[in-house]
Amino acid sequence: MSDQPTPGGPGVDAILAPFRGIEPSLSIVINDASGRRVAGTSSDDVPRDSIARDIVAGPLAGGRVVAWGSSAATPLAAASVESLAVALGIAHTARGGGIADVVVARRIEEELAHGRQLQRGFLSLVPPDVPGYQLASHYEAAREVGGDFFDLFRMRRRGRPLSIVIADVSGKGIAAALLMAFSRPLLHAAIDNTTGPAEALERTNRILVQERRSSLFITALCATLALPTGRLRLANAGHEPPLIIPGDGSPVQSVQVEGPLLGAFGSLGLFEAEIELGAGDVVLFYTDGVTDARAASGERFEERRLLEAIEAARGADAPGHGTAAGIVESIRTAVTVFQAGVEPADDVTIVAIGRRRPAVRRGGLPRRAQSGSEG
Amino acid sequence: MALETSVDQASGRVPITVVALDGELDASNFTALIETVRGLYAAGSRHLLLDLSNLRFMASSGLVALHSIVRLMHGEPPPDSEAGWSALHSLGQDVAVGSTQTEVQLCGAQPAVERVLARTGLNRLFLAHPDRATAIAAF
Repeated sequence: MSDQPTPGGPGVDAILAPFRGIEPSLSIVINDASGRRVAGTSSDDVPRDSIARDIVAGPLAGGRVVAWGSSAATPLAAASVESLAVALGIAHTARGGGIADVVVARRIEEELAHGRQLQRGFLSLVPPDVPGYQLASHYEAAREVGGDFFDLFRMRRRGRPLSIVIADVSGKGIAAALLMAFSRPLLHAAIDNTTGPAEALERTNRILVQERRSSLFITALCATLALPTGRLRLANAGHEPPLIIPGDGSPVQSVQVEGPLLGAFGSLGLFEAEIELGAGDVVLFYTDGVTDARAASGERFEERRLLEAIEAARGADAPGHGTAAGIVESIRTAVTVFQAGVEPADDVTIVAIGRRRPAVRRGGLPRRAQSGSEG
Repeated sequence: MALETSVDQASGRVPITVVALDGELDASNFTALIETVRGLYAAGSRHLLLDLSNLRFMASSGLVALHSIVRLMHGEPPPDSEAGWSALHSLGQDVAVGSTQTEVQLCGAQPAVERVLARTGLNRLFLAHPDRATAIAAF
């Protein structure tokens, strides 16, 4: 195409020349002052050059030149497209088309998709190898980026205890995902460098209160499990209490240890609970995405249905026979069926740790779990 | 699920704006509630009573709304929960939580809502009253 000089400014081809060969999927649209698209298209396959011509020549008064690119765009390409958008905006203004306010807006859905990928990446890490125990988890993100996360890892100290963290950032969207990305390694490091879960949460809280400048909070549950003994130490910062599902069929108990959530108060004053996981016992952690799950009727899943789903997985003929994996699967299925046809509003996270029964019984009954001791 | 808000004016020792919440406070509507209160503060309200008698459910995003409302009613820069890092770093000192503030008070919280407030410790931020009349007398 020939360059057609434009009065009062450079021609389109002259503007485009330095950008040729850079990320062809990056394209540019033009919105009017109310944000309505007046030139360009949301489709990546419209040639950039023709959109550029529209932008320079098109009717625009106080509108915006918006450059956007596919998720494959590199930072360099994105910067180039920003320069291109600025150049086009200037050309447009010079031609008397009104002042173009240039912004670079990568499509928000793409950013959210990125966020979700990032989040899944955090959560799909290979679970640690924990001899004698079964680890099971389920995580499902809501459409928007949510703030749930969990972390299972072997600690650095002697005996390499298992550490379990489950947390939920209140609020939604990019801000929640960023706070999640900020907090997860913070909690991880705190657990590895403190004497126990309560201190780890206190330390993380202090940092969050100093750093945090928004009304976003984190509920978090933190536990350490000594593998040889099954001794589980737990501290809770505003999170749903964990449930102990005894392997001998006796009633499910919630571990009533509570404390305020992270990020709002200077100090938490947390207590720890200590429980012994016997052979066949399962400890279950979950986020409020489970109990707050909403059916089409408007009803909530609530703790009642959670307990029903657990019981359904405990029967002798139940698939999984009350194992950690069987219980997680039963809850997952129940939540999915319950909220059929409804867009889930919140992330759903379920984590279960089960102590395996010895292959050969060495006599005696499995030890019962005890809960609620503080100190 | 919808959340209906209705606004009334009452007078105790000070003029009180009463915001009654009817329905469910969750991720879909918590920002709208913050905006409502932002408008009330801009219009001159300085004492706010949240009447929770008909609030059937509150998700964790409701906590964000409650905390934001306290900040707004203290004339602090309104937090923007969608602004990412800028929200995390742009605002000044947080509300002096722990010291009881009286500008925003609650009444009529139902057990389900009360449980969320108690579990998360956010009940420490508020004076809570059984009903509207008691609350208005307490301001």
